[in-house]
Amino acid sequence: MSDVITANNLTLSYDKEEQIIKNATFSIKKGDFVFITGASGSGKSTLLKSFYGSLPVNQGSLIVGGLDMVDIKKDKLQELRTHLGIVFQDYRLINEWTVERNVVLPLWIAGYSDEVQSTQAERLLHHVKLSGKEKKYPLELSGGEQQRVGVARALAKNPFLILADEPTGNLDDYSSNVIWDLMENACHQLDTTVVVVTHRIPAVFNIRYRHFTIDENGSVYEIH
Amino acid sequence: MKFIKTHVSLIFPLVAILLGLEFFIVFDRTTDTYQKSLQNGYSMMVVAKDEMSIDDFQVWDRHIEQVIEVQKNKILERLEMNENPENKKSFEASLPNFYSLKLDGYLTLDELNKVKVNLEKSDNILKIESFQSTYQSKYELFAFIKFSFHTFIVFMSIIGFFLIVKQMEVWNFLHAQRMKVMEIFGASLFLRSKVLMTMAFVDAVIAALTTSIVFYAIQNFWIKNSQMEIVKEKINSVFMMTDILILLFASIILVMIAVYIVIINVKEE
Repeated sequence: MSDVITANNLTLSYDKEEQIIKNATFSIKKGDFVFITGASGSGKSTLLKSFYGSLPVNQGSLIVGGLDMVDIKKDKLQELRTHLGIVFQDYRLINEWTVERNVVLPLWIAGYSDEVQSTQAERLLHHVKLSGKEKKYPLELSGGEQQRVGVARALAKNPFLILADEPTGNLDDYSSNVIWDLMENACHQLDTTVVVVTHRIPAVFNIRYRHFTIDENGSVYEIH
Repeated sequence: MKFIKTHVSLIFPLVAILLGLEFFIVFDRTTDTYQKSLQNGYSMMVVAKDEMSIDDFQVWDRHIEQVIEVQKNKILERLEMNENPENKKSFEASLPNFYSLKLDGYLTLDELNKVKVNLEKSDNILKIESFQSTYQSKYELFAFIKFSFHTFIVFMSIIGFFLIVKQMEVWNFLHAQRMKVMEIFGASLFLRSKVLMTMAFVDAVIAALTTSIVFYAIQNFWIKNSQMEIVKEKINSVFMMTDILILLFASIILVMIAVYIVIINVKEE
């Protein structure tokens, strides 16, 4: 199995004085489902941000999808991001766009035809159990439904890597289970690599998948 | 309602700035005629011992553009002398030479004084009459109107500019979130700003056309029926079709700079 993410002595910080992640070395392979946990402020989201190039690498190396994230060019980063599926705790949907338009955002960016976008939107919304809500606006949906739109958007272009930052942080148990099922299905059926940052791993997942944790010093350890 | 509010808040300050710009152009263009008529109507009277050519005058000051000799017999006619022809002839021969000097531009009072001082350096010149008081009153009135108008335009443009800055803050509030999300999903700068650019472009065109219509109406419905001879002489130069292009260009450049500033200030979280 090829590596999707490879970090070698990776160090991340927002300013020169305080290092958030220190000398992290790990690799994540294609089809892996990985949880990253840690206390609040330990740097879980910071680590995830570095995977999609939102935070530059200070020291060490980080390879994502075969691309060196150190000094990555803007056009290369844009290209990489079109192949990622990203899910946020606060959903980050475009509120003035309909649900349907939000879901097909990655396809629209990639220049797919309206017909393909429409077909995919229908399929994805059915998949996340939101059929019939195509023309609604995000603020007309519940938190759980909004997050399902976020997951549908992340899955729209069959990404090779899904990065989820506390995807169930604001959701009730039912909605959380739906989100976990969607991600697990993507991992199993499409061989997509899934990296989830969370402070609470669902009990059924705890043993089954890889689990990294970040301690208070910014060191990253693999638990199992 | 939301559509109108979103668009009018940019179109209004843009029109204010474009009106200022067009008023500036039109004012300078139309008052150019008036300025020329002031210049043509003005001449300096010079009395010289011996005859002088234009070159002789230009040696002393480069602003002298035209020299018209005042015929001595015409001066005598004005004096209505009833002398016999021989006396008249000898009197005419004893008279110095009179010249009316036209200048090359609309000079300020300081420049006018300088011309006078330069000409006085010539030993051949006996007297210079610059008719400064008449010139001064016309000049000062004209200068005052021009200054007031320009000041008004500058203030109108400053207010327009601040309204656009305000609109940029509104744009940032309305579009930043969408642009950030699109950036995370790999959209190019063009794709991220397409909505804002299109909207701003349409507003820029509307503002330029509105300003053009206002000036077309001023030219064809107001000035044509007015008694303003100074402007009526050059009625077709009040608003020219090429002005639409100038307004469009200025308008588009202005909004694109504003859009660009908004876009580059949207930073990914």
